[in-house]
Amino acid sequence: MDALLSLSNDLAAAVERAAPAVVAVHARRLPSTGIHWRPGIVVTAEHTVRTAEDITVTMADGRSLPAVLAGRDPGTDLAVLRVADAGSVVATLGDDAALKVGHMVLALGYGPRASWGVISALGPRWRSWRGGDIDRLVRLDLVLYPGFSGGPLVDAAGRVVGLNTSGLARETRLALPVTMVTRVADELLQKGHVSRGYLGLGMQPVRLPEPLRAQLGLGDGALIVVMVEPSGPAARAGVLLGDVLVALDGEPVGDLDDVQARLGSDRVGAEISAVVLRGGVRTELRITVGEQPRRRA
Amino acid sequence: MSAVLTEPVAAAAASLAARLAGITVEVRGHSRGSSAGAPAGAGVVWRADGLILTNAHVAEGAVSVVLPDRRVLSARLAARDVEHDLAALVVEATGLSAAEIGDSDALRVGELVLAVGNPLGVVRALSAGLVHATGRRFIQADLRLAPGNSGGPLADARGRVVGLNAMIVGGLAFAVPSRAGWRFVRERLGR
Repeated sequence: MDALLSLSNDLAAAVERAAPAVVAVHARRLPSTGIHWRPGIVVTAEHTVRTAEDITVTMADGRSLPAVLAGRDPGTDLAVLRVADAGSVVATLGDDAALKVGHMVLALGYGPRASWGVISALGPRWRSWRGGDIDRLVRLDLVLYPGFSGGPLVDAAGRVVGLNTSGLARETRLALPVTMVTRVADELLQKGHVSRGYLGLGMQPVRLPEPLRAQLGLGDGALIVVMVEPSGPAARAGVLLGDVLVALDGEPVGDLDDVQARLGSDRVGAEISAVVLRGGVRTELRITVGEQPRRRA
Repeated sequence: MSAVLTEPVAAAAASLAARLAGITVEVRGHSRGSSAGAPAGAGVVWRADGLILTNAHVAEGAVSVVLPDRRVLSARLAARDVEHDLAALVVEATGLSAAEIGDSDALRVGELVLAVGNPLGVVRALSAGLVHATGRRFIQADLRLAPGNSGGPLADARGRVVGLNAMIVGGLAFAVPSRAGWRFVRERLGR
C-alpha cells in the first residue's frame, strides 16, 4: 500500500484505539476533556475543574454520569474524578520514557476531535508556576484547541503517553508524562491532595562573600532566613532568624527551587540534615520535615 | 538507520501534491474592472468538460479562471448556493484533468488530509493536516489555511477530493463536504 495511505490509516486507527477512553468533563462553563484512566476513575486538568459539586462526565458512548471530585492538585494541574462506571473502556497507557523529540503524536479532545503534531522538546524535571514538580518537560508542537486540556497525548500506536494541558504555561503546549499522572492520581485517590514537605521558613537568596566561600568550600549562592514560623519544623530544630542555609539533605542549595526539590511528598515526616552558617560558623541541624499547610482549594 | 517510512511518505505526498495541483484552478474576480482580475480564491475541476466548483463567496460577480496549464478563461456562473457556500463555474474547455471525488461521509477522525489553494497569493500551495472532527455540517480539519485557499480542494490520502475549503474558524479549516457538492451539482445543474 501507498506509504502516505498507510500513515493516514495508522493515525485514524490510533484515534479509534484511544477515543473510547476519552470523556467530556463538565465542571465549568465550557466542557474540558478527561481520560478514563482506570475503571471508574477519570483524570483531567485541575484548572478546568471550577466547581466541586454537580460535576458530570460524558463517556465516549454518550452516557452522562455524575462525578465526584476525589482529589485535586493545582501544582501539577491534575484532578481525579470518580464515576459509577466500571464497564467502559479504559486508556491503554504507553511509555513516556520512550518519547523522543520529533515523534509524531496526536492530542485528542472529547467528541472525539484530533490534533496532530510532534514532540518539540523534552527536558528535565521542572517546577510549574503553580508550585508543582513536573517529572519531565514534554513540549508539543501542535494546537490544543478549546476544551482539549485534560485530554490524552497519544502516540502513533494509539497509546496514551501524557495528559495535555494549557494551564501550566501561557504560550506553550505541554503534556504531563503518563507515569507522573499515574503517581499523582494514586496519591490523590489516597489522600485527596498531594502533600509537600514544609520547613516553616521564609528565606531569601544571598551571595556569600568570597573569603567565606573559599574557607568553607561552598558555592556562591545560599539562602538567608528572614522568617521562622514559631513552633514550625525548622524552629523546633533550632533554626534562628539570620541563619544562612547552604545545604539541605546533603545537597547545596542556592535558591528556593533547590529547597523545594528536597521537599517532595516522600520527605514528609523524615529527618533531614540542614547546614547553616551562623555568625560565619558552619552548624549542622536535623529538621523533621513537616507537611505544607493546604491552601483553600 | 534509513528512513524506511518517511521517504516513501514524502514521495507519496509529493506525487499527490502534484496531482492535486493539476485539478486546482485560480479563480479571479473582475469587480474592480481590471482585465487580469484580482485573485479571489481557488476552485476544483469537477468534470473534464469545464465544470468547476468553488465557494459561493469566491464567485461573486464576473470571474475568470486560471487553469493549471496557465490558460486564462472567462467563466460563466452556472449556479450559486450561498447557504452551502457553493458555486458552479463553466469554462469553454474540454479534456481537463478532473478531480476524483471521494465520499466525505467515509472520513475518519485522524486520517490525513491535504489542501491546495492560493493562500495569500501563493499559487497552488500545499497544506497537510488531519481530520479533526466529523459528523458536522462542515468537515473540520487540523490544518493551516489562509485567505486564498477558499474553494480549493481538501483531499484524502488517496488524492480523492472530499471537500472544498471554505473558512478558518478558531484555527481549524472548515470545508464544504463533497456530498454537498454532489447534491448541489445534481439538484442545480441536473447532472
